[in-house]
Amino acid sequence: MTSPSTATNPPLVCWSCHERTFGTHFCSSCGKLLQLPQALDYFALFEMPRKLCIEMSELEQKFLQLSWKLHPDNFVNATEQERELSLKHSSELNDAYRALRDPVGRVEYLLGIEGARKEGEHKQQAPPELLEEVFELNESLDELREAKASGGDLAVLKTRLESAEKNFQDKLGQVDAQLRVTAREWDATLQGDPATRKKIMAQLNELLNRRSYIRNLVTNVQKELL
Amino acid sequence: MGRIVGIDLGTTNSLVAYTDAETGQPKCVPGPYGDTLCPSVVSLDPDGSIIVGEPARRRLLTQPERTIYSVKRLMGRGPADVQSELKLFPFRIDSASKNVIRVLLGNRVFTPPEISAFILRELKNWAEALFGETVDRAVITVPAYFNDAQRLATKDAGKIAGLEVLRLVNEPTAAALAYGLHEKQRGRVAVYDLGGGTFDISVLKLISTTAGDIFQVLSTNGDTHLGGDDIDNLVQSHIQQDIMDCYGVDITQRPELVQELRKALIAVKHRLSENEEAILRFPLPNGAVYGTGFTRAAFEEWIRPVVERTMGPVKQALADAHLKPADLDEVVLVGGTTRTPLIRRTVQEFFDRKPHIELNPDEVVALGAAVQANILDHGVENMLLLDVTPLSLGIETYGGAVAKIIPRNSTIPASAQELYTTGVDNQTGIDIHVLQGERELAKDCRSLARFTLRVPPAPAGLPRIEVKFLIDANGILQVGAKDLRTGEQHSIEVQPSYGINESEIERMLEESIEYAEQDFAERQVIEARTESESILTATAKALTNPQAAGLSAEQRAKIDASVARLQESVAGRDYKLIRKRIDDLNHATEHLAELLMNSAVSTALEGRRLAEV
Repeated sequence: MTSPSTATNPPLVCWSCHERTFGTHFCSSCGKLLQLPQALDYFALFEMPRKLCIEMSELEQKFLQLSWKLHPDNFVNATEQERELSLKHSSELNDAYRALRDPVGRVEYLLGIEGARKEGEHKQQAPPELLEEVFELNESLDELREAKASGGDLAVLKTRLESAEKNFQDKLGQVDAQLRVTAREWDATLQGDPATRKKIMAQLNELLNRRSYIRNLVTNVQKELL
Repeated sequence: MGRIVGIDLGTTNSLVAYTDAETGQPKCVPGPYGDTLCPSVVSLDPDGSIIVGEPARRRLLTQPERTIYSVKRLMGRGPADVQSELKLFPFRIDSASKNVIRVLLGNRVFTPPEISAFILRELKNWAEALFGETVDRAVITVPAYFNDAQRLATKDAGKIAGLEVLRLVNEPTAAALAYGLHEKQRGRVAVYDLGGGTFDISVLKLISTTAGDIFQVLSTNGDTHLGGDDIDNLVQSHIQQDIMDCYGVDITQRPELVQELRKALIAVKHRLSENEEAILRFPLPNGAVYGTGFTRAAFEEWIRPVVERTMGPVKQALADAHLKPADLDEVVLVGGTTRTPLIRRTVQEFFDRKPHIELNPDEVVALGAAVQANILDHGVENMLLLDVTPLSLGIETYGGAVAKIIPRNSTIPASAQELYTTGVDNQTGIDIHVLQGERELAKDCRSLARFTLRVPPAPAGLPRIEVKFLIDANGILQVGAKDLRTGEQHSIEVQPSYGINESEIERMLEESIEYAEQDFAERQVIEARTESESILTATAKALTNPQAAGLSAEQRAKIDASVARLQESVAGRDYKLIRKRIDDLNHATEHLAELLMNSAVSTALEGRRLAEV
């Protein structure tokens, strides 16, 4: 994913009626769909502050309301330009809903627009405190692959891997819990000083990297156990 | 502007429907024979004209090399993809086919979209005959699990048939729309759609808002090569082997016998949906008659693997929607194949609730397409459909891996941006490979398109090109690029990996109009006359047979009178009258047909027309 474009001034004049306009999606003067992009981030699109704890039913309500207005089905008999705009608006809406609906995707997106998302330099490298366990896990995985190839006994190895999988699933749960705690800290300092906010974002970034590392491990184990 | 219709372009049968302006209810359009189902069969007459539907279906037996069915299986696929199909279907693929499959009918070649277009044009004719007005726009349904190439091929077929395709709607979603209008259902609904060639499962949430009803698809899954055809193939290969074992006759060498047997077995399948037992008697070329009895239980054992193959996608769709079977409020069965009792039981047991079958499973998809057509025609008033993309969209990265950029089950339209730059100085092109599928390696996914992004020469890493991948409301990919340094927009010509290009579509459209120029009614008259000719000849010949002496005077008089009436009608141009008199004569000669066959064979040929014997 690339970071969304940074804010520029929104167009103040409608492409259709050439009047000054104040609408978000539709012209306040003539009611036509407005041009995109409007430097609208996903939070702004839903008219929500950049908070990480979101009331899901509220998000869904807004999504459905906007869908009624923006969906291409409304514009089948409209001009080519309006159909084009409706496609852009509604895909943006759906992309936004997809990103914000998922708690992890939401953090990822927020860090992206705040310019604070940095994937680990060495994505494949284990976090130091997990090194030993990851080493053991990889060993077991190798043994299982060998046993599969040579037709050896798989039962013991599978049991060992299953318990390792459970162990890492637990760790994933822990990371998610930490993410929730840190997300609340973020929400509490929404108007706070920049240094604290920066620190929290760094923590969130770290947690995301950790999460994606463990998530990969679990997926790999699950694949071998199938 | 002309009228708008909804079309279910099915593997086995196709239908066209419209919304009745007075009642606001969707209705299917009947064809010239009074039936709403148009068999998806196309035949090329030796005189060069195209025959579609029921008359073409009859030609499967007499002219199999000029006739094609189940062409939907070939839509949007490359020659290499269909090798396994060729073992079971009598498709004759032109050996010169490269990216695009070309099928031989007689000695002419057609692409699958062209053949589908003949079916669409036929349905368009049906609707125009009913309305007395032109039909120029349509909503066409596709299996939810159709990929980009298959959707494009369907849209191309619409264009070739002279229709503006306003929307491709997923079949299970269309069915949900029809049911929603019918029953005013609410909550979470699973739609299990097993047709002639495709299987879909969709999970929807039906939401009532102050503005109206929203049909939101939560997840979908399926198999575009799993359906009633597979049941037929399975049973057929069992029986062909049995015939080989018992009589040493290899009927696979005789296309007309394969079709004959297929037809007989489909009849057995249908009987077993109603009865516990059915008997097959099949006359062989060596004079022997192969006979076997089926019980429903034994039949179900045979077809169980096909039914079980549907359950994997069902479970995946539920998992993707984060639901358990018990969370569903309603289950709907769609598609002719769901008449099979084993399927009804399996679905009922899995969801632990009685599935809905109130609407005719053959018609419900077309009815839903008509509902959507009406919505599009009049603007979203009280119903909105939010569908999803069935497959993840990805791009190839280093080492042949795939980076997913739009996950499956994303609400469409959906988009994703990727930023590209160059790796060496003055590099002028960046190759991009777009794929669809869930696997991790590019070679295991469906290749949608490859294209080269043009970049002005610059030091490595300096160009910044943003490529936008957008899946539109039809589930079809669009690609656009923007140079972030100059703000310049590039349009990207994406040549689909298995598609046909615009100029070819133009040519096909022109050709298809040529075929269509022969007026619809005119063609009906010609077809009816041809058919009456063959039945009159067959009757005259049969009456010279010594067995005909077994007819009572009354039966004989009835035949003679029917012959005279048919001959009289053939002179006129009323094809409906000719059809009726053909039916009358068929009826009058039933006993004669029976007399002509020995008792063993006659059982197998019960209910057949004299012309077919």
